[in-house]
Amino acid sequence: MSIAVSSPPLHADDSSCAPTASLSLVPARCCLCEDDDAEPVAVGEDFEYRTSPDSFLAMRCRGCGLIYLKTRPAMSELSRIYPPSYHAFDFSPERFGLIYKIRRRLEARRALSCCRGLPVDARIIDVGCGDGFHLKLLRDFGKPTWTLEGVDLSPAAVACARQAGLTVHEGKAETLHLPQAAYDLVLLIQTVEHIESPPETLAAVRRLLRPGGRVVIVTDNTRSLDCKIFGGRHWGGYHFPRHWNLFNRDAMRRLADKADLEVVHIGTQVSPVNWVYSLRNLLVDWGAPRWLYQRFSLQSTVALSVFTLLDNGLRLIGRGALLRAILQRPR
Amino acid sequence: MTSSSTQAPVAIVGGGLAGLTAASYLRRHGIAVRLFEAGPRIAGLAQSFQDADGFTYDFGAHFITNRLAAALSIGALCRDVHLYGESVLLGARVRNYPFGLLSNPRLVASAAAKRLQFWNRKPAQSAAQWFADKYGPALAAEVANPLAEAWSGLPATELSPAAADSIPGSIAETLMLKAMGRFTHRAVAIGYSREVPPSPNVWHVYPEGGLGLLCQHLASELADVIELESPVEAIEVENNRAISVQVRGQRHPAAAVVSTAPCHILAKLVRGSDSLQYLSQFRYRPMVFVNLRMEGRGLCPDVVLWTPEKRFPFFRLTETPLCMPWLAPAGKTLLTVDIGCQVGDPTWTMPDEQLGEFCIEQLKPIVPDARQRYLGCRVLRTPVAYPVFARAYESDRQRFAAGQEIHGLYSVGRNAEFSHIFMEDVYWRTLKKMRRLRQSLALAQDAETPIEPTREAACT
Repeated sequence: MSIAVSSPPLHADDSSCAPTASLSLVPARCCLCEDDDAEPVAVGEDFEYRTSPDSFLAMRCRGCGLIYLKTRPAMSELSRIYPPSYHAFDFSPERFGLIYKIRRRLEARRALSCCRGLPVDARIIDVGCGDGFHLKLLRDFGKPTWTLEGVDLSPAAVACARQAGLTVHEGKAETLHLPQAAYDLVLLIQTVEHIESPPETLAAVRRLLRPGGRVVIVTDNTRSLDCKIFGGRHWGGYHFPRHWNLFNRDAMRRLADKADLEVVHIGTQVSPVNWVYSLRNLLVDWGAPRWLYQRFSLQSTVALSVFTLLDNGLRLIGRGALLRAILQRPR
Repeated sequence: MTSSSTQAPVAIVGGGLAGLTAASYLRRHGIAVRLFEAGPRIAGLAQSFQDADGFTYDFGAHFITNRLAAALSIGALCRDVHLYGESVLLGARVRNYPFGLLSNPRLVASAAAKRLQFWNRKPAQSAAQWFADKYGPALAAEVANPLAEAWSGLPATELSPAAADSIPGSIAETLMLKAMGRFTHRAVAIGYSREVPPSPNVWHVYPEGGLGLLCQHLASELADVIELESPVEAIEVENNRAISVQVRGQRHPAAAVVSTAPCHILAKLVRGSDSLQYLSQFRYRPMVFVNLRMEGRGLCPDVVLWTPEKRFPFFRLTETPLCMPWLAPAGKTLLTVDIGCQVGDPTWTMPDEQLGEFCIEQLKPIVPDARQRYLGCRVLRTPVAYPVFARAYESDRQRFAAGQEIHGLYSVGRNAEFSHIFMEDVYWRTLKKMRRLRQSLALAQDAETPIEPTREAACT
């Protein structure tokens, strides 16, 4: 995902960096309808990292159903809202053990399913690749003849991915000088919800794609049962204040239209993460004891297993926790 | 974004929450605005006052919701309110509102008997009838009617049923919200908003340093467009369209006018059209809020105590430090006594100290040692505390609420909309109207012609 790590550390002597200070916030509107005709759906805080004392308001656009933050952190605040302890920076086998192994298998299958039908010399780029988790999967389980690249905003994530021997560009897909019409597949895996303007990023992605090339977007599904239950405040998918744009199928279609991409398929996929974090956020918010809410984290094998089973059932009726869209640049 | 290069600025009349919200919204969308405030400071009824002893005074028990705080990006500057409750004093007994009233078999029997008379149902013609139909004659006569009368200054038979049917919400929903409030130890907002639904995740908060923070925050980015001590003397209308405002004798052309003026004042301001003349009959209830500084805390059985009995000259007693301890120094408290009156009557003109003494005397049945605890008082008066929904002009009120009188003239805010709404609704409703204003200006701009008449204006 597009993340940046601070050059000044969180507890620098500049008091504006202290977590007790408010973030600098900027107003936003629906990036798809380019309007602000929206209703408030949730008030929340940064339950997970407590990077600021602010509260945030999630709005649902009346035009397309996109959920966005009414005011969101300014770009200059990225280093604060993605602290060095942020999980995406360090999803390592050492820290996550068995969970890492299971997720790796699962994600490898999914990643390869995105690659069906790709030519032998396919060029693939992962936008918002973080530490290169998915690229490593493609390298380890995919065809050795594929060319793999990544893009990320975060220097720390880029350094981590490069250390693993991956080719990663530091910056934004919109502004990097990447070869145009050169890629067969672009991945945006849990990236689109973090970025400022998904339509602009998708337009840039379209330019990278060869005619007929595909983009796979995986993001939180606002029409899932977990969102329905916890959507008033604690839903993990809000990930306050780091998720700026959240989609349902209709909004995703709108995004594709806006970027002039054809919809090949939009479906849902299983993930226990939002379930686990929704419960954790609720417990934290209601003042539950630490030992209790710590049962719900990315390291909780039991909770993750239970909700994986549950979400499997929900996926069968099209209500899985994650939305997966496959879009294609017209030939 | 709408370019404002060829359009005159939008004139905003009044610098309270609604006027500042409107100005802030339009400005963010690139529309030029000028805000004229008659007084020497912003905030209107959303002002707070602090004294050197550490007491904070508001117009009534004001708080906002965490949702409004988040919308205004001041969540970090607000404290949670953990408890809120209302009770009714009947005879010597204090009953929790609303469910405590159900513990009185006489009231329940009367309500049940009325509910069972389903064959004799006609739409209520007055607040009195509405109360009797809904709550039964006993509760209507002993609680609802006297409170409505003290609050409005009119007999309940002269009030429109709309005055009674204020905030929707089912019993089940109220019970659920109350239970969640108790469980989460937060003052969940119940019956507080119409524009956006209630939720266990929406509770009351209070900004650090007082309610005035809301307006200060909005005004912080509007410093260059706010003109204080600039009373608008007239809103000029031509061909049924608002075209300018007159301030200190000078005419300022305006692309549109956003008014927060109370209706009867708006009727006087508009020149060049008499289509709003009927607003001059709309009345507001003047109110005197006597804030008594007292020794001790917990003098009231609940944050709000309603006193419907005629023996009291006031109808509501509020001890805000019970739910917001920071409004008074430790070991002390504030009791706010709400007295309805008329401008110029003996209550309105009574000197502050005398009003304090009067209230202390009248409080004896509730706080027997009130005199020993009394430290002094501060009185806030407003001639426009609440819109009065009189039957006499109910059809005109509905006409005004339905909108469309003068093009390019928008009424926002509680008094200007003549509506019983709280701060969060003021905010969302103002945004809704300003979105429409923005769209109509954009259309006009696109057409490069004067704004086409659209079906919207005052009170749409």
